[in-house]
Amino acid sequence: MNESIGSIQTAALAQIAAATDVRTLDDARVAVLGKKGTLSLAAAGIKEVPPQEKAAFGQLLNAARTAITAALAEKQAALREQADRAALAGIDLTLPARRVPVGSLHPLTLIRDQAIGILRRMGFALADGPEIEDEFHCFDALNTPADHPARNEKDTFYFDSGKLLRTHTSSVQIRTMESQPPPLRIIAPGSAYRRDEIDATHLSAFNQLEGLYVDREVSLPDLKGTLEYFFREMFGTSTEVRFRPHFFPFTEPSFEIDVKLQIKGQTPRWIEVAGCGMVDPAVFESLSQSRKDQAYDPEQVTGFAFGMGLDRLAMIRWGIKDIRLLIENDVRFLKQFA
Amino acid sequence: MNISLNWLSTHLDLSGKSIPELDDLLTFAGVEVEGIVTKGISTDKIVVAKIIEAVQHPNADRLKVTQVDAGEGTLRQIVCGAQNYQVGDKVPCALPGAALPGGFTIGEAVMRKVESRGMLCASSEIGLPPGEDGLLILPADAEIGKPVREMFESDVLLELEVTPNRPDLLSHRGMARELATLLKTPLRPLEIPARATAPAAGGDVRVDAPAACPLYTVVRISGVTVKDSPPWLQQRLEAIGLRPINNIVDVSNFILHELGQPLHAFDAAKLAGGIVVRHAADGETFTALDESTHILTTDDLLIADENGAALALGGVMGGLDSGVTASTTDILLESAWFTPPGIRRTSRRTALSSDSSYRFERGVDPEGVLAASHLAVKLILATAGGSAEETTLVAGQAPVLTRPVTLDQAKLDQLMGGSISLTDAGAILTRLGLTKLAVATWQVPSFRADLQRHIDLVEEVARVHGLDQVPSRFQATFVPASPVDAAYDADMVLRRRLAALGLHECQTIKLIADGQLGDALPLRPLQDGDLIRVKLPLSEDHAVMRPSIVPGLVASAVRNVHQQAKSLRFFEMGRVFRNAGGGKARDQESETLALLLSGPTGPAGWAATGRTTDLYDLKGVLISLLGGREIQLSPRERDGFVLAADIKSGEQNIGVFARLAPSRERELDLGHPVYVAELDLAKLRKLLGSIDHVTDLPQFPGSTRDAAMELPVGTPNADIEAVIRKCAEPLLVSAECFDLFTDPTGVKLSADRKSVAYRFYYRASDRTLTTEQVDAAHRKVLDTLVAKLGVKFR
Repeated sequence: MNESIGSIQTAALAQIAAATDVRTLDDARVAVLGKKGTLSLAAAGIKEVPPQEKAAFGQLLNAARTAITAALAEKQAALREQADRAALAGIDLTLPARRVPVGSLHPLTLIRDQAIGILRRMGFALADGPEIEDEFHCFDALNTPADHPARNEKDTFYFDSGKLLRTHTSSVQIRTMESQPPPLRIIAPGSAYRRDEIDATHLSAFNQLEGLYVDREVSLPDLKGTLEYFFREMFGTSTEVRFRPHFFPFTEPSFEIDVKLQIKGQTPRWIEVAGCGMVDPAVFESLSQSRKDQAYDPEQVTGFAFGMGLDRLAMIRWGIKDIRLLIENDVRFLKQFA
Repeated sequence: MNISLNWLSTHLDLSGKSIPELDDLLTFAGVEVEGIVTKGISTDKIVVAKIIEAVQHPNADRLKVTQVDAGEGTLRQIVCGAQNYQVGDKVPCALPGAALPGGFTIGEAVMRKVESRGMLCASSEIGLPPGEDGLLILPADAEIGKPVREMFESDVLLELEVTPNRPDLLSHRGMARELATLLKTPLRPLEIPARATAPAAGGDVRVDAPAACPLYTVVRISGVTVKDSPPWLQQRLEAIGLRPINNIVDVSNFILHELGQPLHAFDAAKLAGGIVVRHAADGETFTALDESTHILTTDDLLIADENGAALALGGVMGGLDSGVTASTTDILLESAWFTPPGIRRTSRRTALSSDSSYRFERGVDPEGVLAASHLAVKLILATAGGSAEETTLVAGQAPVLTRPVTLDQAKLDQLMGGSISLTDAGAILTRLGLTKLAVATWQVPSFRADLQRHIDLVEEVARVHGLDQVPSRFQATFVPASPVDAAYDADMVLRRRLAALGLHECQTIKLIADGQLGDALPLRPLQDGDLIRVKLPLSEDHAVMRPSIVPGLVASAVRNVHQQAKSLRFFEMGRVFRNAGGGKARDQESETLALLLSGPTGPAGWAATGRTTDLYDLKGVLISLLGGREIQLSPRERDGFVLAADIKSGEQNIGVFARLAPSRERELDLGHPVYVAELDLAKLRKLLGSIDHVTDLPQFPGSTRDAAMELPVGTPNADIEAVIRKCAEPLLVSAECFDLFTDPTGVKLSADRKSVAYRFYYRASDRTLTTEQVDAAHRKVLDTLVAKLGVKFR
């Protein structure tokens, strides 16, 4: 009896080892452990074993069952692993990807969004106005004399209607103040146009970002603090910012803003990035006339305005040498911003 | 404007001031330094050396090996290629370490196996005006070893940009006055000779246009000799890039750049009678000294003689025949004050501009008119001889352009953040030439007509005080988002979605060419006169305001195809322009989104399927852009396009869809079908609006039924969808087309038929449907399709 259990175990282990797939392994399991399996039948024979041998027989039987079960589990794991490996045969991880098209945002969008993001955190809301403007909003209301050179047909695009393509986004200042009383904190990104021949540093249409803050007691410290903070957010917290006195018809005092930047491979230098100034009282006076009220009484309110060229900021930020790259839409250029 | 540092130094002591210091000083005074050009020798390491010996170089025919005495005690061996010298000549020798203007530094070298310890120099090599070929031969008495720099005058040319509000800076005296203020150093006194003046009476000078010319002075100088100016005068003019002409012209140019007052000298022999300052007759012609001829208007101001002959276009340019020539003996010297706007208008109209008109149109100092004339008389007599009439004739009087201005303490403190006291601010104004009249009232000098208001004085204080002295402050306020903010945010969502869908954002110019208009796909077709054209385009390529973005994208596609780009996936957002009614109504600006897809659907690769973009790809992009919301394409013909359709979301038209006409694709060499769409951004933003609240998930399972129907190949899918929709079966949740079969050969299916397979999904919200219930609903839908469309189910 004991010998037969030994041979059952030997045969079962051999059959398990010989199994080549899940099905033959299952056959082996049924043949040994199934209802009519060899070991099950042998176990049924315990009734005929003499009582004094029953314990030893039982132990032998259990040992055989344990060994066979373990062999089955081991073989099953090996077969699964083998099947998994077979399913992946011939797959080469190092082949190139199945590519999905990759798109990108235009660098002007990226720089505009960054600038708007910073200014919104600082409490500015967006405003806009028409690109086809009248002389009043583009020049007169901004204290620009009737014979100012910028109003020349050689420098500005005019239409037969007498209107023109705005030469700066500053016209949005006027449009907004006409419709809203102070306090006012607005930014206006948008296109502006000048009759410049297109070359590596000029476009006849370019992108500006205008800002205006009008309230009681707005001062030069506000202008300075706001724009220093803005450019440090834009170019890094340790960026040096300086204000050079300048002249614009619609602000006084007026400044140009330089930041000190290190362009790769060059020594750091001051680069002009924006113009700004305190709103000229003449602008408020003209506005009071067109509004027919005293909401913008120059004795009561002050403000500062600023404007910057987004094309220029993008060129500085990414070292773009030719401004025309910004309008040519060459995919080899655009995909670098993906 | 060019400023010579040597010239400037005649007005104030600049010794000990470095060029970078001056650069900074001017920059922070609001004068932009555009260029700094150093003239002359700038190093002491170029010294006088005597050539002691020169022998043929053993290894080079064209070189000699020289031994020179540079005052060092021992001789220095230098290899030299020049031929123009003799042994014994003295020449400039650049010692090792000398930095030459070409940007290189002299070192010790071995030239063709012979040691060379320095360089013998030509004049152009050391920053002097180019002389004869070869080495610069120095005078025989030059002291050996002495820096050559000491033998030649050096100078620095400052190229400055003066803002239009500061005409007082447009001269050396004016710039010196500003620097003296900033440096707190005294200005050297200006010696203006005293001369008698007398009111012009009758025949000598008559001003018929006093508004345009409030002050006109003239002095007659007789018996002058017109010749070259003395060297000092020529050098002054050459130093700022002017060409000396003759002593009379040079003196007036000198005065202009010295004091900022333009002068004009007429040849008295060419005048009939006295001078008449008058407006031109309408249509009167004038020939300027640059030989250009102009037809004038009554707004233009002429300096004429009593016969009416035009001598000069007042303040702008002299006439061709009235100027000083070599044979001139008697001159009339004009110094005047012209009203700026008139000069500017004439200059613009005639396109004539000069150093004179540049200054007159910005405004010269009315109090400087006579001083300039007096100084010029002195210089003319000194350089050309002759004698001046005892009195200078004066017509009119100097206009008073300045007035007392208040500097208010409270406003100053408020604007400057309290960073400067009234006393310090007052000190700045005093240095700027203002005079305190009362506690807060200041008299402005005649040369600062730009200072008219309180804010103008604050501006001066802020400018001189410097913004770096002002504290920084930041106060935030709560600001509600505007409708423009909402639109911006929606646009950024759309942009990011499109980039994620593999499209590149483009930016094209909003002025396009007439030739591009055929590619325009505006939301509404254009009528005659709707286009908005600029009057004076820069070129034909930028003549019309774009009525649609598509032409720009098509041009970008063409450019990229030329650069061998394969897959074109572009979008652009922005404004488009048109007149609302054939040129008679309002100009409209609206915002659109345009898309363009063409070429392979994706990047090429070993596993790519190699499919070419078709219209369903673009339709798919549009649906994804709308977050999976369905759109319908409703065919509508458009000139220049095929497959044109309105894009509908529900009942709303949101844009236009089309393929470029294949003939246009061929014309542009595009190689693949080009699909485009242009959408109304205002409507898209609304469609992006977030949902109000969520729909509960279904509690009971549904069932699907598939059905393939046969119908004429020309029946649009939209007809099937319309019938299914109209059938309004309450249990039908969705119906999706999942297969389309046609057989052009007619073997498996008649060529004029197609088989369309749909999967229908049925579900009830309140119970699990039985098979019978689903079948009944499905049958109803199929029966309706048979009845309405005559389809055959297979």
